[in-house]
Amino acid sequence: MLTEKMEEYLEALFKLSREEEALNPARLSEHLGVTPPTVLDMLHRLEADGFVRYGGTGKGRGKGKVYGRARKAISLTPKGERAATALVRRHRLSERFLTDVLGLDWESAHREACKLEHVLSPEVEEKLAEVLGNPETCPHGYPIPDEKGHIKEEEEEIKPLCDLCTNEKGRIARVEEEEPQLLQYLASLGLLPDVDIEVKEVAPFGGPLLVKIGDTQYALGREVASKIWTKKRRGRVRRGPRWTGDARVR
Amino acid sequence: MKQERLEQLEKIRRKAEYVFALAGNPNVGKSTIFNRITGMGVMTANYPGMTVELNLALTELDGRKIGIVDLPGTYALGAVSEDQMVARRGVLQGKPDLVIVILDANNLARNLYLLLQFLDLGCPVIADLNLVDEAEKAGIHTDVRLLSEILGVPVVPTVGVRGDGLGELMHQALKMAEGKEEYHILPFSYAMDIESRIRRLARQIQRSLSEPLYETLYNPSPRALAILLLEEDREFVDALREIPEGKGLLELSGRIAAEIEKEHGGKAALIIARERHGIAGSIAANVQERRAHDRPHLGERLWEYTTSFKTGIPILLVVMGLVLLALFWGGGALADLFSRFWDGYVGGPLGRGIEAAFGVNTFSQSLKWAVDGLGAVLQIALPYLLIFYIILAFLEDSGYLNSVAFLTDRFMHRLGLHGRAVIPLISAVGCNVPAVMGTRVLSTRRERIIACVLIVLVPCSARIAVIMGGVARYVGVGPALLLLGMIFVVVIAAGLLLNKIMPGESAGLVMEMFPFRRPSLVTVLKKTWQRLKDFLYIAAPLIVVGSFILGLLYESGWIFKMTTPLKPFTEWWLGVPAVAGLALIFAFLRKELALALLLVLAAQAIPGVTESSSLLEFMSRGQIFTFALVCAVYIPCVATLGVIWRELGARDSLAIAASTVVLALLLGGAAHLVLIII
Repeated sequence: MLTEKMEEYLEALFKLSREEEALNPARLSEHLGVTPPTVLDMLHRLEADGFVRYGGTGKGRGKGKVYGRARKAISLTPKGERAATALVRRHRLSERFLTDVLGLDWESAHREACKLEHVLSPEVEEKLAEVLGNPETCPHGYPIPDEKGHIKEEEEEIKPLCDLCTNEKGRIARVEEEEPQLLQYLASLGLLPDVDIEVKEVAPFGGPLLVKIGDTQYALGREVASKIWTKKRRGRVRRGPRWTGDARVR
Repeated sequence: MKQERLEQLEKIRRKAEYVFALAGNPNVGKSTIFNRITGMGVMTANYPGMTVELNLALTELDGRKIGIVDLPGTYALGAVSEDQMVARRGVLQGKPDLVIVILDANNLARNLYLLLQFLDLGCPVIADLNLVDEAEKAGIHTDVRLLSEILGVPVVPTVGVRGDGLGELMHQALKMAEGKEEYHILPFSYAMDIESRIRRLARQIQRSLSEPLYETLYNPSPRALAILLLEEDREFVDALREIPEGKGLLELSGRIAAEIEKEHGGKAALIIARERHGIAGSIAANVQERRAHDRPHLGERLWEYTTSFKTGIPILLVVMGLVLLALFWGGGALADLFSRFWDGYVGGPLGRGIEAAFGVNTFSQSLKWAVDGLGAVLQIALPYLLIFYIILAFLEDSGYLNSVAFLTDRFMHRLGLHGRAVIPLISAVGCNVPAVMGTRVLSTRRERIIACVLIVLVPCSARIAVIMGGVARYVGVGPALLLLGMIFVVVIAAGLLLNKIMPGESAGLVMEMFPFRRPSLVTVLKKTWQRLKDFLYIAAPLIVVGSFILGLLYESGWIFKMTTPLKPFTEWWLGVPAVAGLALIFAFLRKELALALLLVLAAQAIPGVTESSSLLEFMSRGQIFTFALVCAVYIPCVATLGVIWRELGARDSLAIAASTVVLALLLGGAAHLVLIII
């Protein structure tokens, strides 16, 4: 039986495991805001119950270095993954319920959902999904896993924009942050994370790229394009960025 | 933050009852609309240290004087580029009664971003939905009334090129300015969690900043300032750092920004930008309907050919060839026409008049040199420039130049520039002066310096005339081509070298591309005139004064006193006669005169040579080659130096001049050495 604390750890691991950085106790403790010894303690319990693998498998291994215990990689076992997606599903369904039906704002919806996710029974969860019309995303735009823990859309390979071919489509994953000026300029043009982008033309010999975003085409030099990372979508298209649907307009 | 006030802006403000600012993204037809609603009297104003200009004009509407401030076309109002900062200052500091935001109906979502920023800043706004004809053709229909309702500001649909709707727009604008109190501009509210944080910061700002402090910050509303701080806007953050109350505010805004970052997993500035794009996108989606786009029209297909590499490069070569042909033929014909007019009606009579008034002496003869200088401006520079500028404005307004920049970006990158610099470089073949002014399209100083160096090395029409008249005529066509080839290599080598040795990196290309548009003749002509005016006001006076000085030196005989100190350079190093050295030095004042000057000086200094002699009578073919080479490479002329001085300042312009002189001497010396060996 999982305690509320354990569930919180699983949820955090679920989130962090979807990021690019190696997942280790140090990162987990930073994310949760608790001390490394506490994290290690809990990890041992989760490991004992078969929810996580810790210390040797997963990312970050085989680099030929001896890592301290706190640097060793953590990963979720299939059992842990199932438990985590179920939690995430309850959390995101609750958020939808709290914003759509009760009219809470996003921030408080998130806070309340953190509490609700631990107490919802499977029946309530099922009814909730039914009443809400089986929503695909939470109010923040993240996908809601289905009953079997399957997530509709998971991004695959991440690569820089300049590696895309002509007529290839992708979605911007992130823009490198070393040059805040460039970042902000690109942001003002709408070159932002989670925006769909299509390469229309690639000039040969390392020339610039012609890309299309929405209704606009831009020429981007190769070195600019190398700082924009894209992810390719697999499966169904997410229902658009999170702002569609409700125009917050007065 | 220094409060730099623009004199011209204040003058307009004093004269006009209301001041409207025109704002919009680049390429939305803003300059066309500006030119349509104003007359010829356009003033330009520069913020110190900035190259982006503000255009100002006075116009009359319903018997009221209205000042129009044309802000530079920008995508946003941040502090990330000069044009954005100039646009923002124009609004915050110029305090127009109304901002007319021009929106492209084809791309409403992206265009609304700027409008939302104006609302964030608390500016009274009216929207002009431009290019509605093109949008309808592309199957995009906009519900103007709904858009106006959602935005809470009047929206007027227009077709700027034809002038449709502009009367209505100005009318609405005037009505709005007159009844300013009736309109309340409401900013949009962001997502709840971000909005509540903005308000928290705004409250703190209101509490801790007093009125006079506001003044120094251009007086934005607390909410506007809060957003700017969360966006980590350089200008405002720096300004706050300098005042005691600022520290606490910056600390708070840093904390709040960190909160947002933690919650949304991105920098607060980006999250806010994304929110704004989101709001803009959903408004556009609400008010626009799209039919399936039929066939792409001719302009679109043609445009695709120009950006595709296989077809684009041949098209580019053909266009460049046509431009050069138009320059040589059209320019030549115009030059003939102008020079007949000048000799018959102005130059001749003026010269006789001067002699009649002052008699024949050193002074009057020098004055005649000055008159000749003015004639040269009219006969040699102006015809080519006129043609070139008209073509340039057409290419620019149709959107073809963007395709060119796209195609040439890779190559230009090697030279430390990017695609946008190709235009000034080509235009340098006509005259270096406007080419140097054209470097303003480049965004960094590094690029502008590199571009100026390369431009100076590109032979202009005057230097091509020297090469043709000297080398091709007396030495042969082969050597003339060899010389041009050498100069071409020098230009490329200089670019490669500068790219290596200059600190920094060339900025990446980020440029909007849009299909061809029909240029407006009015705008083309006005642009041409604006550019010609720059040339006439800056270059022409320098050439006239230079000619006068040259005349004085020559007529008084002083010029020959320089022969002795020059000897080691000319005879020993370059291996050319001393008079040739003189001609080289004074060609700085009038480069197209280098050959004529050489003959005139030789006739005085060398017995048996007359002004109609052949160059071969006192110079060998090798010497002529060396002479033309040096003449072509060193700093082109006083006018070019003057304009580089204005663009880059004293230090860099003198450095460029000096380095070209050194380069010319090195090349000349090398040529001399090679010639001795053969």
